[in-house]
Amino acid sequence: MTNLSLADLAGYLRQLGEGALITLELFFASFTLAFVLGVLIGVVTLSRNRFIRAAWRVYASVFMGVPSLLVIFLIFYGGSAMLAAVLGEFGARIDISPFGAGVAALGIVYAAYIAELVRGAIENLPKGQFEGARALAIPPLIMWGRVILPQVMRLALPGLVNVWSFMLKETPLVSLAGLQDLVAAAKIAAGATKEPFLFFVATALLFIAFSAASLWLANRLEARLDRGQRRAPVRSSAQAEA
Amino acid sequence: MIARPPASDLAGDLAPAPVAPAILLAGVVKRYGAHRALAGVDLQVQRGEKVVICGPSGSGKSTLIRCINALERHDGGRIVVNGIELTGDEGTVQDIRQEVGMVFQHFNLFPHLTALENCMLAPQLNRGLSKAQAEKLAMAHLERVHLADQARKYPARLSGGQQQRVAIARALCMEPRILLFDEPTSALDPEMVKEVLGVIEELAASGVTMVCVTHEMGFARRVADRCVFMDRGEIVEEGGAQDFFDAPKSERLRHFLAQILR
Amino acid sequence: MNALPIDLDLAWESLPALFDGLMVTVFLTVLPLIIGLALAFPICFARMSSRRALALPAETFVVFFRGAPLLILLYLVYYGLGQIEALRNGPFWIVFGSPFGCAIVALSLNHAAYMVEVLRGSLLAVPHGIVEASEALGITRRNIFLWVRMPLALRYGLKAYQNEVVSFVKGTAIVSVVTITDLMAVANSIFEQTYDPFTPILCAAAFYWAFVNLIRVGFTFWGGWLNRHNAEDVAMPGPGRLALARLAGRAKVMP
Repeated sequence: MTNLSLADLAGYLRQLGEGALITLELFFASFTLAFVLGVLIGVVTLSRNRFIRAAWRVYASVFMGVPSLLVIFLIFYGGSAMLAAVLGEFGARIDISPFGAGVAALGIVYAAYIAELVRGAIENLPKGQFEGARALAIPPLIMWGRVILPQVMRLALPGLVNVWSFMLKETPLVSLAGLQDLVAAAKIAAGATKEPFLFFVATALLFIAFSAASLWLANRLEARLDRGQRRAPVRSSAQAEA
Repeated sequence: MIARPPASDLAGDLAPAPVAPAILLAGVVKRYGAHRALAGVDLQVQRGEKVVICGPSGSGKSTLIRCINALERHDGGRIVVNGIELTGDEGTVQDIRQEVGMVFQHFNLFPHLTALENCMLAPQLNRGLSKAQAEKLAMAHLERVHLADQARKYPARLSGGQQQRVAIARALCMEPRILLFDEPTSALDPEMVKEVLGVIEELAASGVTMVCVTHEMGFARRVADRCVFMDRGEIVEEGGAQDFFDAPKSERLRHFLAQILR
Repeated sequence: MNALPIDLDLAWESLPALFDGLMVTVFLTVLPLIIGLALAFPICFARMSSRRALALPAETFVVFFRGAPLLILLYLVYYGLGQIEALRNGPFWIVFGSPFGCAIVALSLNHAAYMVEVLRGSLLAVPHGIVEASEALGITRRNIFLWVRMPLALRYGLKAYQNEVVSFVKGTAIVSVVTITDLMAVANSIFEQTYDPFTPILCAAAFYWAFVNLIRVGFTFWGGWLNRHNAEDVAMPGPGRLALARLAGRAKVMP
């Protein structure tokens, strides 16, 4: 059945490699956007302001309640019009690429999940952390940056790992908006060679391998953070003696 | 009552006594890896006898009674309960469990069922009783532990003492000939210990065979026909409650009693 | 330009088509949920088995069908299985030869893999002491599973199940790639006819949102009914709750 020449195979492999790079770029860009947005939104929406809280609830409910694919299409089709409405004449001239639409859509959707994790983690922090920082008259920006957020990240890490691997599995959706990513390359190769089984299984295994590797890294990171946590009391008592 | 093979078959060659013992343990060994939780235990409990087992934590007393109804499988020696020898065979395990009721330290009630349903479940499933029959039986036993008025409540709504009494009623509903108690009061607040021990004492008067792991000295004196002291996986000393507490023979028991009475 | 980006006339005209699309989405949700759950039970038992020969294939199944993106699974079933001669000539071609059949197979396998983990986590969360108490009462293993472990596992795992169902519904939006006209596909085709980038997609979003939240409300009622025994008290022990928190996370992203 197999009638693939070695040269053909090399060609398809190169395409797959290029696609994989695009998938990775898309994934890292979207995750970074989601992370930054998510942390910001998570911190800001803890405010007591009723309007901000209501806005958070609407945002979370909408983007957790619709498919990511729909958000991708919405931004891909309607992004230019939205930009035009916001930026006026200048915005209308910006064309939305599939890559840009994918990053924006996945970033906005997963920012909601990350914001929820961050909110939960902050609410689980002991109140003493805030009071201690305030008692020491630490400026708010440094308090958040040096005291609160590092602890929040440790608490939120298992959840972040979930978002990470789930988001990875949704990156192929952007190929439906025309992005020439790994999955699109696999589809082309599968069609041209009449070997769909081979190419799709290989693509799936690539995703699984990447996911497994990042899980392994995350577990090591988690173990390290926990070790720091265990050692902390010993160190502080030593400091107290000094 | 459940049909059961005639006790004489098996017991005949085990014990020359005219009535076979309710529980016979001979050289029972239980290992956890390299650790021997039970290092060859011999114990006979006669029909209707009340035996109290005590000993320091890790002495193997819980393991011992958990071996009697095969919650732990023994690695060596023989266990015969009501004439049924406990082998690896699932059938004998089921047969023995029909005869033996067990009450746990942490009650282990079914949280999704009411007190009444907790008591009805086993009779309905094991003995095929109808719902009405099982309910009648369960109410009778809840009455016996003075909880008929709480029958429709879920365990989370009951106090620790009440939960343990429901657990006792649940065990009684299988109408076992032997009752095992694994530290039934050690997870209870002090004010609830009395109500549970009271119920167990009332049961003791009914003639059922009882093996109870507990450190409640007053209870042991009132109820126990015999007290057994275990340490490091073996039985160190046994005797009537009076002698056991007032004139312990072994140094280890004296030391243990001095510690828990302090 | 209108203050609202929605063309109300177009929205009104599109309603019947969108509703038909929603029905396809509902159908592609309900059937795989049933098939996936039915598959998940035996695979979960195999996965929890102490026998390596059973556990390993089950684990491989879970890793593959949970780890592969749904879109690739769908391509694999739709394009890949047709390559297998025996299948093309066999009686199952009725299933694998149609887009609906392929979508249902891919979605079911994916859901099954997730449900194996949800089930396993929930069963492991059942306190050992309660199972032991049932054994001590002489209840058979099958009855313990039916009357004690499963009812409790359902209570402990309901939140994870809800998360999985909700994210599953959203996942069905890709079926248009195998020519099925579900809700997403209807919205897309209206866009292609009208070039209105907002109206059809926002209307579809409203339908998805309503469907997802109907499921959430349903689960909330179900959970309230199941947990009537501890409406005030937290009856679940500490370690169990912890295990479940992990489980809810593992299942899929928290809502």
